[in-house]
Amino acid sequence: MSVLSVRGLSLSYPAPRRFLRRAAALPALHDLSFDLQAGERVGLVGASGSGKSSLLRCLLATEAAQTGHILFKGREVAAGPVAALRWYRRAVQYVPQDPVASLEPRMTVAQLVAEPLLRLHVDCDPARRAEEALDSVGLDPRFLSRRPEELSGGQAQRVAIARAIATRPVLLLTDEPVSGLDMTIRAQVVQVLRNLSDAYGTGLLMVSHDISVVAGLCSRAMVMDGGRIVEDRPVRDLLRDPHHIHTRELLNAAPPMTAAA
Amino acid sequence: MIRTLDRLTPALSRGVTLCAVMVLVAMLPWISGRDPARSILRARMGEQDASPEALAALRDRLGLAEGPVAHMRGWFAGLAQGDWGTSWISGAPVLPGMVKALGVSLTLMSAAFAVALVTAVLLAGPTMRRGLRGRDTRSSGTVAASLTAMPEFMLSALFLVVFSVWLGWLPPYGWQGPAHVVLPALALGLPGGGLLGRLLTNAVAATFHERWIATWAVAGFSRRQIARAVLRRSLPALMPQMGMIVVGMTGGAIAVEQVFSIPGLGRAVLGAASAQDLPALQAGILILLLNALVIGVVANLIRVALLGRALHMGALPVARVVPLPPDPRLWLVPAAVVVILLVLLAAGLPRDPFTSQFLRLQPPGFDLPLGADGLGRDVLARIAHGALSTVGMAVLVTLISLFIGLGMGLMPRLAIGLIEVTKATPPTIAALIVVAAMGPSAPGALLAVTAVAWAPLAAHTAALVTEARAQPHVRIAPILGVGPLRLIPRSILPAIFGPVLRHAMLRLPGNALALAALGFLGLGARPPSPEWGLILADALPYVERAPLAVLTSVLALALISVLGVSLVSMTRR
Ligand SMILES: Nc1ncnc2c1ncn2[C@@H]1O[C@H](COP(=O)(O)OP(=O)(O)OP(=O)(O)O)[C@@H](O)[C@H]1O
Ligand SMILES: [Mg+2]
Repeated sequence: MSVLSVRGLSLSYPAPRRFLRRAAALPALHDLSFDLQAGERVGLVGASGSGKSSLLRCLLATEAAQTGHILFKGREVAAGPVAALRWYRRAVQYVPQDPVASLEPRMTVAQLVAEPLLRLHVDCDPARRAEEALDSVGLDPRFLSRRPEELSGGQAQRVAIARAIATRPVLLLTDEPVSGLDMTIRAQVVQVLRNLSDAYGTGLLMVSHDISVVAGLCSRAMVMDGGRIVEDRPVRDLLRDPHHIHTRELLNAAPPMTAAA
Repeated sequence: MIRTLDRLTPALSRGVTLCAVMVLVAMLPWISGRDPARSILRARMGEQDASPEALAALRDRLGLAEGPVAHMRGWFAGLAQGDWGTSWISGAPVLPGMVKALGVSLTLMSAAFAVALVTAVLLAGPTMRRGLRGRDTRSSGTVAASLTAMPEFMLSALFLVVFSVWLGWLPPYGWQGPAHVVLPALALGLPGGGLLGRLLTNAVAATFHERWIATWAVAGFSRRQIARAVLRRSLPALMPQMGMIVVGMTGGAIAVEQVFSIPGLGRAVLGAASAQDLPALQAGILILLLNALVIGVVANLIRVALLGRALHMGALPVARVVPLPPDPRLWLVPAAVVVILLVLLAAGLPRDPFTSQFLRLQPPGFDLPLGADGLGRDVLARIAHGALSTVGMAVLVTLISLFIGLGMGLMPRLAIGLIEVTKATPPTIAALIVVAAMGPSAPGALLAVTAVAWAPLAAHTAALVTEARAQPHVRIAPILGVGPLRLIPRSILPAIFGPVLRHAMLRLPGNALALAALGFLGLGARPPSPEWGLILADALPYVERAPLAVLTSVLALALISVLGVSLVSMTRR
């Protein structure tokens, strides 16, 4: 069953205003259409500036596309005030790239993880749910009273993941969730994401520069280039037989272990 | 649709603010709650009561009978046709006199601007020389900072005593020849020159830290070529401040003209204010505001031409602090000032500031450490009591402006017009409007200074808010269900409150001096209250017989300046 369908999505940014004149708008996304199935893990790859983050922002309804529709289980999603989007935010959550910076430094881990539960009016005991979420990313309750500055990069990213899954979302969007971490911690965090997805059936749409991460975690990959999706196929096929020249470049740029993964 | 509205908000905000100011000025006669007809008759015929028939006839003739809105429309129509109203005192049209006075003021301001430029170049010279020799370009900038903190009315009084009365080098009053321009231009130009010099020094020092300097030096460019390139690189950043400095001069000129009896716009407006001649006052205020507006716009255009850069929201000018290693002894100066103030208070507070119990202008003695003023009152007592009220009022102004500044800065797109117009309004002009509406009083001065003191804090807040909103943990907030209102106490206020509070505290001495300046000009506290500006104004008529009395109050005011400068240099990091 398709959870999220995107139809004809186009986005362009207003050009910077110069004195008394305005340049043409900057197109970032061209007529994108795709579906995400329940529990599916999809990788989103592409060169820098190809529009991956822009697409995520549209899917997160923090950026309003000029044309096209985003339907979540058949219900239209449009950027708007916080109150009108609570239902969607409970179901679709986000893990940012820079874990330490995405955590408000004045709040404790307990407050941070419980915040979306309170603000999105999730019907549960926030303290208990926060503890559970922390447990499922492999952090013990000692961490509840810590503040972000007292966490390592890997721990901070786990807190960010715990915060995102606390509402038990159907779909998790992540923008380079591991690229700020070093190699060994990277593997741990990928493992955490995989376990969560397996355990709760949470779908995953993951932006990554690193095709080996996508290969290890996702079943399907979408390749973006110049604001278009140029390839959208199972990862296995994509690795074996890249159609688009751009995909081939990405594969060539990746370390050789990629093919084995 | 919403996007378009969103984009237009700043432009709308500017337009609405300008219209509001115009309407405010137009409505002054009605806001003041005085019956114009009665005021005119009283002004022309003294205190005697006018007959109802005379009042009615006059109302009819002035077109006052039709009420405020119609009168406002008439006033605007008159403006367009060059009829700016008729003086309530002389019955003559107000515009010609005001235009002539404006000419005098513009001459004075041009001379002062030249002084400011020369001062700035002199102050930045050593840094430039050190830079060209390849040495460290940092400088403490204490001289520049001290100049900046001297209010114009205080410098005027000081120069009057030293150069006219004691040394007799230059004429004390009037506007007859080049000799009459020197002291006023110095008094008006030095504070702006100090500020400009400090900014130029910082900009030049920053430029010398850029890599291309070393490359050029190695490549064999001459010092003259490098100096020219450094200047060209450093100047554009100064343009907005240049505009602010000239705008500040429109306010400072009022005080300078008053001290040196120069027949400029400022003195004409002050005269109209004290006579409550509202049509003349309206015309004067309008010209002062237009003057400031034109200067601001021209400075901005020059900057855009120089930079070719976008005029966007991020360009709100913010005071940039010089990075300097703090000197551990820096707290000594403010501590010394506070001790002196405390000694003054301890010595003067028990004494009586109001009774004329001594000889007029009695010289200092054992009983009377600072002498008596022109009415035989104890100067020490007056200064001590004045310190208490001036500092108390300044604290009040600072706190209120802190809260207004925070509030306005939190919605910069909506408030930008108000912030810009207010930043371009010197406190003296604000005070003129307040005085026109409710007459001179201490609370009025407090209102006037507060009405402009919040704007720099709001601009600072706005810049910090923009910075805070760009933080990843703030940008992710909507996804977590945190709305824009809850975001303010959660992330924005905690991030900005400290720096803005510190900024407000640094402005405390400046606010005290602004209050004193209003007292000095007769736009604030009324006699006999012992207010510092008023004490100086009381002493000034006797400057030739008792210059020491003037000097005493100037020194008291200088204490506040020193406090301000030392606090600022202490917090630089
Ligand atoms: N806020 C913005 N305003 C204007 N243009 C933008 C903005 N954000 C992105 N762009 C432009 O849109 C295009 C797509 O950017 P986007 O950030 O989506 O790329 P990306 O695929 O995420 O790149 P990266 O891999 O480097 O993160 C780029 O050309 C970028 O310059
Ligand atoms: Mg990106």
